[in-house]
Amino acid sequence: MSAFAQSWTLLRLNLRKDWLKIFVWLLILAGVFIAVAAKFESIYGTAQQITTISNTLMTPAMVSLFGVTPSGVSLNTAIVFASEMMVFWAILMIIFNYSLALGASRIPEENGITELVRGGYPVGRLAPLMAAALELTVVNGLFTVITALGVSATGMPGIDPAGNWLFALVLGLVGWAFGLIALIFAQLVADSRTAGIYNYLFFGIFYLIRMVTDIKNPDYTWLSPIGWVEKAEIYTYNRWTPVWLFLILGIVAFGIAARLNVTRDLGAGLIHIRSGKKTSRFLKGPLSLLWQLQGVSSLLWIIGLFIFGAMYGSVFNSIGKIANTTPMIQKLLGSAGLQHLATQQLLSFVGILGMIFALVAVLGGTMVLNRLYSDERQGYLALIQTRAVSRTKLFWAYTLYSLIFTAILLWAGLMGTMVAGNAVLTHTLAYHYYNDVFISMVAVALLLVALNAAFIGLAPKYHGVVWIWLMLSFFMSYFGKIMNLPDWSLNFSVFNWLNQAPLHAMNMTHFISVLIVAVVLLIGGYIGYQKRDLQER
Amino acid sequence: MQQTNMIEIKHLQKQFGKFQALKDINFELGAGEVLGFIGPNGAGKSTTIRTILGLIKASAGSVSVFGKDAWTDAVAIHRQLAYVPGDVYLWPNLTGGQTIDMLLHMSQQKHSQRTDRLIKAFALDTGKKNRTYSKGNRQKVALIAALSTDVPLYIFDEPTSGLDPLNEVIFQEQVHALKAQGKSILLSSHILSEVEKMGDRIVIIRAGEIIEAGSLDSMRHLTRSQVSVETSQPLAQLAQIAGVHQVTFGNDTQTKAEFGADTEALNTIMTYLAQQHIVTLKTTPPTLEDMFLRYYDAKDTQKAGVDL
Repeated sequence: MSAFAQSWTLLRLNLRKDWLKIFVWLLILAGVFIAVAAKFESIYGTAQQITTISNTLMTPAMVSLFGVTPSGVSLNTAIVFASEMMVFWAILMIIFNYSLALGASRIPEENGITELVRGGYPVGRLAPLMAAALELTVVNGLFTVITALGVSATGMPGIDPAGNWLFALVLGLVGWAFGLIALIFAQLVADSRTAGIYNYLFFGIFYLIRMVTDIKNPDYTWLSPIGWVEKAEIYTYNRWTPVWLFLILGIVAFGIAARLNVTRDLGAGLIHIRSGKKTSRFLKGPLSLLWQLQGVSSLLWIIGLFIFGAMYGSVFNSIGKIANTTPMIQKLLGSAGLQHLATQQLLSFVGILGMIFALVAVLGGTMVLNRLYSDERQGYLALIQTRAVSRTKLFWAYTLYSLIFTAILLWAGLMGTMVAGNAVLTHTLAYHYYNDVFISMVAVALLLVALNAAFIGLAPKYHGVVWIWLMLSFFMSYFGKIMNLPDWSLNFSVFNWLNQAPLHAMNMTHFISVLIVAVVLLIGGYIGYQKRDLQER
Repeated sequence: MQQTNMIEIKHLQKQFGKFQALKDINFELGAGEVLGFIGPNGAGKSTTIRTILGLIKASAGSVSVFGKDAWTDAVAIHRQLAYVPGDVYLWPNLTGGQTIDMLLHMSQQKHSQRTDRLIKAFALDTGKKNRTYSKGNRQKVALIAALSTDVPLYIFDEPTSGLDPLNEVIFQEQVHALKAQGKSILLSSHILSEVEKMGDRIVIIRAGEIIEAGSLDSMRHLTRSQVSVETSQPLAQLAQIAGVHQVTFGNDTQTKAEFGADTEALNTIMTYLAQQHIVTLKTTPPTLEDMFLRYYDAKDTQKAGVDL
């Protein structure tokens, strides 16, 4: 029997299982992409508008967020579109493909489905892995075709057929290749949670490489596969090298995953699970349990966010430089004036960083908090809920841990930025600026964690709403100005309520309201958790 | 005296959305009693137990444990009971030993010599991560933690579903030991022989209702012996005798037969068999299993009759 026997059958099963997820994601990834393309001419149609936005995009701060905008060529609407969308969309594609790849590899293996399929039916050893790879290929292929056709139909000024197809293809391929790399990590460890952490760690490292090299010397951006998407230089040169690179990367990744797959046992990871202590004096209650389960990973998160911040801080000397300074302007402003302008620019960037760190902090914090519900669903909590541990204790142990953890994460990111930033800046930024950002963003972050806690107490099934709101808020605050979204709609973003710091004084009314709502949500969640039925696996 | 009953359930109902999982549950567990709680899958055993434990709230009726309300006084109640769920799931990253000690700590108990003896008896390698344990080993972790907790009340929800026969025997010995110490035990199972061996009294649940309760002896009217017989004369009329069920002949001459016999009809049946000259006779005493099957047979036939 061939090792790949029944791969196509498994592919059909995967597609049947995932069709709704694929449909919704494609609707967002291709749909929003095309919608933005269609609207783009009305935002950046005139030469005047293009010049204004390209000046903004060429500042190092914007380069760090969106990637490099081509210089030395005459810009048109399509090139601006490509510059704004490329990196961000690549990130979304990677997130989507990570979720697909794990859902087709380690998760069914963890649930015992792979064992049933492989053991009970004439299915090849490598068929599940092959089916996962095929699913990634089909889905990203679909994205490519829909997006290319959609963008072509918009008739945006400056697009060309080759560029449309290359754009869609490069985005499809970056997702595809990272999805295949995720299959490697799925071979290493036996649980999907850890496999997911490895995936995002890998992603984070190459994202940072892209960010730093883009600012310091774009030639080195070739070192990061995430940076390859920029190198296609869509609508300016339409280079195909990234396509071949992604294809090679994906095929090699699949080869490694397949090689690792055949050397390991079903249901096991390559990294061995070591034995541990036979007794414990330490584990006494929910809090010590949480520390045992989450402590090491919490510390790694904090260190990770500090480094993440430090990477941004390390390019502050470049970001502080004023783009397009003519001798005339220099004379007009004087060195003090120029310095003031540079500081203003940096401070506004610190504000954006505060929002990015808050996003990551809320993700980290709510991941811990969601254990209160997921461990209940997994059946882990049944044993301690029937011991002399009150629901009050359980709820507050998880909630307080995640609230404090969230705040520390945000703090670590900002401190990393400050330490590294001040090391490279000649005119350092004072601590109070970072503190102001921290105070504003911590309120936002705690509000979101509190909302998550309220869901776990009152309507646990729907706690995913928090992440959706978080992502939409981030998207709106990140892109809102550039996309010319109407001001009223920006208020939908939770970050916009408190985004005045550090350039301006924080809005105290907003700050206090946010904190009051957070406290109300926490109490609501607590009461709900006291009253609701605990669920069974 | 309220205190004599460890658990008292009166007219308990539980609604999950539109689905009524428990319709009318009434029973009590006396002090020092071992109560077998029997029912097929999905009958509401676990739901009843989860209500007793205060994990879910009764829609109507009352559940009290040690005379306290199961929902409002859950923590105080939990301090005095130990529980083993039917499906044991443990934090994958802890070892079995860590889990046991943690659970004991959470009931203000200590890792005792008894704990060590139990670990040895069940032959559990406590240094392994829970992730690597089989279903049976996970169950052992929960059993060891519960059995080494010194409390007046133990609740076991299908505790041996993953254990091999050897460990099942160890579990049964432990239950007998607890019983000898005067502890009260609620033992739910669909493995009827298990409950039959240990239970003083039995409560049978079906589709959210208690359909029978009492001692095994008081349920003999529901029991049926399995008879295996060889005679020298053919047993042609056997199937016509009232109280004979499911006759299968072992040969063409109809001199070898196996059948189920109602306890109250035994005398008539034996008289007929004797007339046909018995060569060999073997009867298996009624098991709860037969009783159970018979009960449902009767109900389903009745129901089918009505429907037709």
